[in-house]
Amino acid sequence: MFYKHVCKLVLPPVLMFVSLLLISGAPARAELAVPPGVTPPVGTHAGEDVPQPIEFPHDIHVNINKINCMYCHTYARRSKVAGIPPTSKCMGCHKMIATDKPRIQKLTEYFTKKESPKWKKVHDVPDFVHFSHERHIKKFVFDADLPVENVEQVCGLCHGEIKAMTVAKKNKPLTMGFCRRCHEANGGPGDCWKCHK
Amino acid sequence: MSGFKVNRRDFLRVLGWGGASTALVGCDMPTTVTLEEGKEDVVAYFMPEEYVIPGVGVWYASTCTQCAAGCGIHGRVREGRALKLEGNPESVINRGKTCMMGQAGVQAHYNPDRLTQPLMREGGALKPASWEVALKKIAEKTASANGDRVAWLSGAVSGHQAVLINDVLNTFGSKQHFVHETIHASVWQAVARDMLGDAQPVLRMDKAKSILSFGADFLGTWQSPVHFATQYAKFRSGKRGVLIQVEPKMSLTGGSADAWVAVRPGTEGILALGIAQNLVKRGWAKGEVPAKLKEVLAKYELGMVANATGVAGDRIQRITAALKDHAPSLVLAGAPVEGGENGYDAVSAVMLLNILLGNIGQTIEPAAQFAEARMQARSGGTRGALEFSKLAAAKKLDVAFISHANPVYHAPGFMKMKDAMANVGFKVVMTQFPDETAMQADVVLPLYSAIEDWGTHVAAYNGGVATLSFQQPLMEPLYKDTRGFGDVALSLLKQRKPKEYAAFNDYYAYLKASVSNMPAAVAKGDKNKDAAWNALLQKGVLETKATVGKFKVNTATVAAVADVSADVQFPYRLLPSARLGLWDGRHANSPWLQESPDQISKVVWGSWVEMHPVTAAKLGVKSGDYVRVTSAQGSLEAQAYVFNGIHPEAIAVPLGQGHQEYGRYAKGLGVNPYAILNPVIEKKTGEVAAYATRVSVTKLDKSARLVHMGSSDTQMGRKLVSTIPATVYRRTEGEA
Ligand code: SF4
Repeated sequence: MFYKHVCKLVLPPVLMFVSLLLISGAPARAELAVPPGVTPPVGTHAGEDVPQPIEFPHDIHVNINKINCMYCHTYARRSKVAGIPPTSKCMGCHKMIATDKPRIQKLTEYFTKKESPKWKKVHDVPDFVHFSHERHIKKFVFDADLPVENVEQVCGLCHGEIKAMTVAKKNKPLTMGFCRRCHEANGGPGDCWKCHK
Repeated sequence: MSGFKVNRRDFLRVLGWGGASTALVGCDMPTTVTLEEGKEDVVAYFMPEEYVIPGVGVWYASTCTQCAAGCGIHGRVREGRALKLEGNPESVINRGKTCMMGQAGVQAHYNPDRLTQPLMREGGALKPASWEVALKKIAEKTASANGDRVAWLSGAVSGHQAVLINDVLNTFGSKQHFVHETIHASVWQAVARDMLGDAQPVLRMDKAKSILSFGADFLGTWQSPVHFATQYAKFRSGKRGVLIQVEPKMSLTGGSADAWVAVRPGTEGILALGIAQNLVKRGWAKGEVPAKLKEVLAKYELGMVANATGVAGDRIQRITAALKDHAPSLVLAGAPVEGGENGYDAVSAVMLLNILLGNIGQTIEPAAQFAEARMQARSGGTRGALEFSKLAAAKKLDVAFISHANPVYHAPGFMKMKDAMANVGFKVVMTQFPDETAMQADVVLPLYSAIEDWGTHVAAYNGGVATLSFQQPLMEPLYKDTRGFGDVALSLLKQRKPKEYAAFNDYYAYLKASVSNMPAAVAKGDKNKDAAWNALLQKGVLETKATVGKFKVNTATVAAVADVSADVQFPYRLLPSARLGLWDGRHANSPWLQESPDQISKVVWGSWVEMHPVTAAKLGVKSGDYVRVTSAQGSLEAQAYVFNGIHPEAIAVPLGQGHQEYGRYAKGLGVNPYAILNPVIEKKTGEVAAYATRVSVTKLDKSARLVHMGSSDTQMGRKLVSTIPATVYRRTEGEA
């Protein structure tokens, strides 16, 4: 079953290339759905604009090209961190795609120098909090049999509607109250040491 | 306010609600430490290896070097960073456990005060230099040095590092390798060698039914604390073994004892002979008791012993009976006994008990020493620094190499180590930190942390199984201008014997070649040496051939133990007590260990002076008052801590503080009792008698709150821990 989910993640670059050619103009903004049976955590946060070394457009990748979150943030289902995609992964597509765009040229510069951009962290929890992406993806996607292409609904619980942004902006508070409200509403663990270990 | 009455129940209710709402508000308050957006960098892998998953740790085996016990460790590495150290279950020393110092190994590594580049003395001051320049300087300065005018002073060392030190000295034709350790068991080892024919006998606590420990803090600071803690756990499980601890000041082990007996400091040996006499007299001694021994024991009648030691006669009889009833037993001697001016005789008296009780061959077994002598542990003691300081002061040294040792801090004040070192022609100090000794060097070579370096270790105390424990880097070095100890030693060798060592690019290559060429190292018939090497590193330890000795029991060295003399001017004996944590002071630069309270007094950071309530009353002192402790050598000032776990004739000042250098966490904090030690040397071993200094105490006109965990030493009448009367205890726990 897990394998099935994984297969769906892999969107061949050629297909993405084609879809990029097909779509033009601003994408239509669809409201982000909540995964069935989940009570979303309550709370909003007016995040700051965080300038990044490359102004990475989440909207083009997710909204226009329908790339699955976990295609790039590939560690989310395997580790506590979701992971920033390795530069080599970006170049897997961008050796061919949009090579005339200044942002891609900047990325290519990094790649040629064998460096990764120094991204600025947007979402974080304090060091004394043990948060695991893996556990949350397991509960809300794999255990809940949510079609993996809808994973953005789960990511969105804490990250908001990333597909409507260029560079990511924090729009949920990610405070203990925010976490606890969701744990209470959705049967998450309540022991202190589950998160503070 | 007066109209607003709150009873306790209301108060709690208010607190409960208030607490809850505060908590909820608190839950939504983002902390400002790590939650700022866009402040921290996050850098992705450029092209990750297949098996790398950020956030998922990988564990590597290595060896702890926080003390000389040589425990095997596993280090958790995530995203190229070593984050956590735990015990390696494959290690026979520690069987998967570590102590707090082992845990704090990561702080020694990430310490912000590490040396990051070589330093060279220029115009009186140490200035940054490159490795090339520093090594060139060493080559120049040592070119014409030879023979015993070249010396190496190190901390405890073993394995291939010991081989390299030896090889470097050989190129000069020198035999002067001194090993300095403040916390050592060399008097115990000397006595074991003379009375059993084996300097490092294996102590089987797991087989013992009772342990009588004369100040051996085997759960804290004695030889191999984690090993003994695992042994002790077995001793206490099943039919619970009885532990009786006799010492002038309660140690961590004393705190766990069934019976804790305060003994007049320095008279432990007399008590041991008293128990021996009692055993013989009651016909409980095993085997033939030689006439000469009977003669020695004759005068140690209960009355005389009780008088000298302050331990009542009936108590001595009860201890004797407990040992007989709970056989086999094990009798140990630690620092307060070894450190007396009569240390050798006192420890001999203790060892005699093991012989009379029939413990030899039962709970004390012959050692299984690592087969290759060159790699065996040099565990050292204080004699090394004493000899070194004398040679230096007499201008008999042209070149001194110092590694993993800080003699300027650790040597007792009377050795005048700093002045002595000024007379050494050229001093090379290899260290991780700007410590007191580094500050006196001509060239300082900054070393890798233990987590960055290669090495092999052979434990001095191995619990009966000879192993070679591997130390491998858990991560890349933090500072590009630091080097591994083995690499530095190889550079020195290459300067002098370029051809012999040309084959080894670095210490790793040297280690791999040496280990692969050890007959026991690579399994027979294994063609693929790389696979065997990798398997070794994965496991972390290699069980090796051992030389198992045979005991030759000898009681001829047992002699009368001299009583300690009273002194009107200096009425108390100074106990420079050590503890698991700061150890001998090497861990004073670790905030975790500074912050971990002393296990008995619960004091954190700083220094303090421990005294008995009777002593305190005599001096008009209460906890927190500042006092001056004066010996014939000097004085120190610190706050008093008054408690019952110390003999009224003893004054304890813990070791570990009083650094004048050593980085931001250690420098300028507290006092060092070693600064005021009297120059008393134990005659038969040449070790410093660290527990033989007499002091006076005066109250100063200053008082402050002593910072320690917990506000009270009593239960204030509440039955938090249930207790039983001593008489009942004696009936149930068999203290006769
Ligand atoms: S006893 Fe020594 S070697 Fe063992 S874990 Fe503790 S500090 Fe490390």
